[in-house]
Amino acid sequence: MKEELMSILTDLRPDVDFENEEKLIDDGVLDSFDIVSLVSELNSEFDIEINVMDLEPENFNTVEAMLELIVKMQEE
Amino acid sequence: MDFISATFIGFVIILSCIYFIVPDKVKWCVLLAGSYIFYMASSVKALCFLIITTIVTFVCGRILGNINDGQKKYLEEHKGELNREQKKEIKARTSKKKKRIVALAVLINLGLLIFLKYFNFIGGNINSLLAHFGVNGQVPHLSLLLPLGISFYTLQSIAYIVDLYRGKYAADRNFFKFSLFMSFFPQIVQGPIARYDHLAHQLYEPHKFEYNRVTQGAQLILWGFMKKLILADRLAVAVNLVFDNPDSYQGFILFFAAAGYGLQVYADFSGGMDIARGVAQILGIDLALNFERPYFACSISEFWRRWHITLGGWMRDYIFYPLSLSKAFANLGKRTRKIFGNYVGKKLPTFLSMFIVFLLVGVWHGSSWKYVAYGVWNGVIIVSSILLDPYYEKFLKKCRIDTECFSWKFFQMMRTFVLCSFGRFFSRGISCMTAVNMIKRTITHPNPWVFFDGSFLQLGLDYKDFYVIFAFIIVLLVVGIMQERGVHIREKIAEQNLYFRWLLYIGAVVIVLIYGSYGPGYNAGEFIYQQF
Repeated sequence: MKEELMSILTDLRPDVDFENEEKLIDDGVLDSFDIVSLVSELNSEFDIEINVMDLEPENFNTVEAMLELIVKMQEE
Repeated sequence: MDFISATFIGFVIILSCIYFIVPDKVKWCVLLAGSYIFYMASSVKALCFLIITTIVTFVCGRILGNINDGQKKYLEEHKGELNREQKKEIKARTSKKKKRIVALAVLINLGLLIFLKYFNFIGGNINSLLAHFGVNGQVPHLSLLLPLGISFYTLQSIAYIVDLYRGKYAADRNFFKFSLFMSFFPQIVQGPIARYDHLAHQLYEPHKFEYNRVTQGAQLILWGFMKKLILADRLAVAVNLVFDNPDSYQGFILFFAAAGYGLQVYADFSGGMDIARGVAQILGIDLALNFERPYFACSISEFWRRWHITLGGWMRDYIFYPLSLSKAFANLGKRTRKIFGNYVGKKLPTFLSMFIVFLLVGVWHGSSWKYVAYGVWNGVIIVSSILLDPYYEKFLKKCRIDTECFSWKFFQMMRTFVLCSFGRFFSRGISCMTAVNMIKRTITHPNPWVFFDGSFLQLGLDYKDFYVIFAFIIVLLVVGIMQERGVHIREKIAEQNLYFRWLLYIGAVVIVLIYGSYGPGYNAGEFIYQQF
């Protein structure tokens, strides 16, 4: 799952070091355009429904947080 | 009660003294009483609108909270019995109920705002349209009162209701405490647009007197006074003269007026924010940051991330995300993908949402077509810059332009400043057509000699005023650069010894008194954004 996520992220923003960034949202590394594209990709890739309610910074600040969100969405 | 007045300073001092003296339990009551006294001192008649919005938001919030609690309780009680589909069905059912409550709250609160702010604008346009088709129907022109801060507290109330719909937090159970959240006096005039989960608990919790917070808050207030009185009100003289007589000027004078208006709005609005945040800081409350040195932005989209941050954040969370992730927009994307290909299909929902956001930002500024044009101007620049970005990148690579060096960043900042300044023709011009004509006359009549023939001294300001403006812009620039580098200026001041600190404070007060703009022709009391 992590590999697929990393592939989506690096396609979206090749200039970002996703492995080491810990404040992707808080530091403005990913903007709202990136988030919308990312959510659409994640929804179709992992067959989940991330919606507006889940668009909190803590869900997208790190790769780990995104993975947690995907797992949570798949379980729901 | 104006921010820039001795009455307001006295009010803040008395309120702060009472706040720190009374027992912890009733501290929030002091803030509530103070907020209502402040609002009534500004506008007694408008108070009923604030109360209506507060009651509607509180009651609808309680209903939403009860629905959320009921659903949570039911799901917990039947945890093992329900499968995924059943859980989804229950959630969908409660979501339907909640949507009705949200619609009711938004309809009443937004309805009030739209009626009071836009009725005459909409009516006037309907009348023009009817006259065009030879129909004599007349929508009456009403003399409506625009309550102080209605555009700000309405957005705040909608954010609270939508957050409850999303189950982000529990509903407030105390009407009077909630009334304080809706009316907190430093922010009711022109924001920042607060979020319940950030502000409410700070207002309800008691705060002790802290010397550092009081001095830092006072410094922020003083800084706000400086921005407003030294720069904004001084620039306003020349800006008003040019915009009130647009046909008398051309070329660089018009550009100076537009750019000057941009700086005036920045100094006026961010100065007001500094005063609001400073007052709140004295009382132990941190209001959200609304400006982060917007003129250091390298693009228009970055400019909007640094300018009026709480409005941008509101638009992002309650308009942009819901629209761009909605099923309707996703379907639109799929359909256009078939016709225009993958790239356009993927980007269209985002672009359309962004465009709607900027239209709303424009209209939020006022009821006139010029504000619609202002929104379109910004929307078109942002969307086209993203669309053209791949070609732009190729061009830069081909020309071997180093995009990391200072000169390139400086060029980007200047480009953003010029684009923003041209946008100001719409937001400040008398009408949309006047703005277009002014832009045309700026571009087609270049007149560099005005920098040397004394033309600028015919704009109501003498050379001393220009020196003061120039000096203050340099100060703003230095402060901005230091802040960009992560220097906390007020903390640095606090580290200095007592004599230096007091010399600085007294110096700043003297500067405000000497170089502030007072007297006939100036209107220190009013802020541009308090009319919104």
